[in-house]
Amino acid sequence: MKLYDEIFKKPWPYWVGGIILAVLNVILLCTTDSLWKITSGFVYWGALGLEKLGYDSANWYYFSVYDNGLNEGETFLNNNYTVINIAVIVGALLAVLWANEFKWKRIKNRKQFFFALTGGILMGYGARLSFGCNIGAYFSAIPSFSLHGWIFAAFMFVGAWIGSKILFKYIL
Amino acid sequence: MTSSKIQALKRQKEIKHKKKKRQTPYAVLATTIALIIYLMLTNYHLHLSGFWIIGILLGVTMQRSRFCFAASFRDPIMVGSTSLLKAILIAFIISTVGFFIIQYRAVALNPEYLLTEIPGRLQPVGIHTALGAILFGTGMVVAGGCASGTLVRIGEGYIMQLVVLMGFVIGSTLGAKHFSFWDRILISEAPTIYLPDYLGFFPSLILQLLLLCVLYYIVDWYDKKNSIMATM
Repeated sequence: MKLYDEIFKKPWPYWVGGIILAVLNVILLCTTDSLWKITSGFVYWGALGLEKLGYDSANWYYFSVYDNGLNEGETFLNNNYTVINIAVIVGALLAVLWANEFKWKRIKNRKQFFFALTGGILMGYGARLSFGCNIGAYFSAIPSFSLHGWIFAAFMFVGAWIGSKILFKYIL
Repeated sequence: MTSSKIQALKRQKEIKHKKKKRQTPYAVLATTIALIIYLMLTNYHLHLSGFWIIGILLGVTMQRSRFCFAASFRDPIMVGSTSLLKAILIAFIISTVGFFIIQYRAVALNPEYLLTEIPGRLQPVGIHTALGAILFGTGMVVAGGCASGTLVRIGEGYIMQLVVLMGFVIGSTLGAKHFSFWDRILISEAPTIYLPDYLGFFPSLILQLLLLCVLYYIVDWYDKKNSIMATM
């Protein structure tokens, strides 16, 4: 029971998390020739939604350049991004369930809703410009020895500073 | 408050805690379903099964260690704490070595390599990177979480992060729709800079590890000086 508590009840130190995430990303590159990326999958979900609404999103310019398109045999729903994104959600769910900590947490007010939606849109749009979020263009890019990872990191700090100012002014 | 009152409050809290329903049955059920999905994937889409299992491990790790990329950038600015940023720098040191081995092997097998053949994430760098990063960084702090943190919190039961995800999908799709514009004015002119092409393989490795270590010391020093947690 002591080991169980140690693993499932107490939070792990940050550095343990960091080491495991790094090792998992290396294993992913080693075994699948792909890296941990998240937001490219969100584009596919959006495109899927538009397709269902009757738009011809599959023929967008975006999907024809920079390896943004689907691989042979994949669809907007059936691809490795969908699988890994859902798996991360399921992993977190399993962890809280085993720790007895699962709880639905509601949105407190309209302001919170507005900021959540706006923040999400900003992140989504930004990630398309910079070829990824802070996973694809940072956590997976810096170890790949690509300069864009470092540039992304530096300017994300600028953005985080702006965001903190907004937070102090309107939310806290 | 007298100590007896504190004792009474403690007892009340304990009773409340015991009343909380055990979630183990749900945990067993969810784990079984996750395993069944894994077995189905190995049978029908073998290449996806690896993504499934590693994704689950990533989710568990992020949840258990309270890992948050957004906080690693926000905390140094807002409360002066850098313990998360230090953990990320450690992660970078490990993955730099791991990626280096994989890339070096690929290049040794194929010395006439093209940039697109290097395993890893190599993309054009330029003004669009900076612009996107600023938008992303702002949104990350405003929404209170980045992409990975959003997914993890959805798993924990936060309704608000579902809204963030909705915004994320809307923003990503808009960005993809406008991509031809950005590509025309910025991205198509931008080079992809793969450091080993310019510095050589081993110098890049050593330089990057050195830089990460120096950053670690700076960030550690910053924490000791500024963190409001350290003085408490």
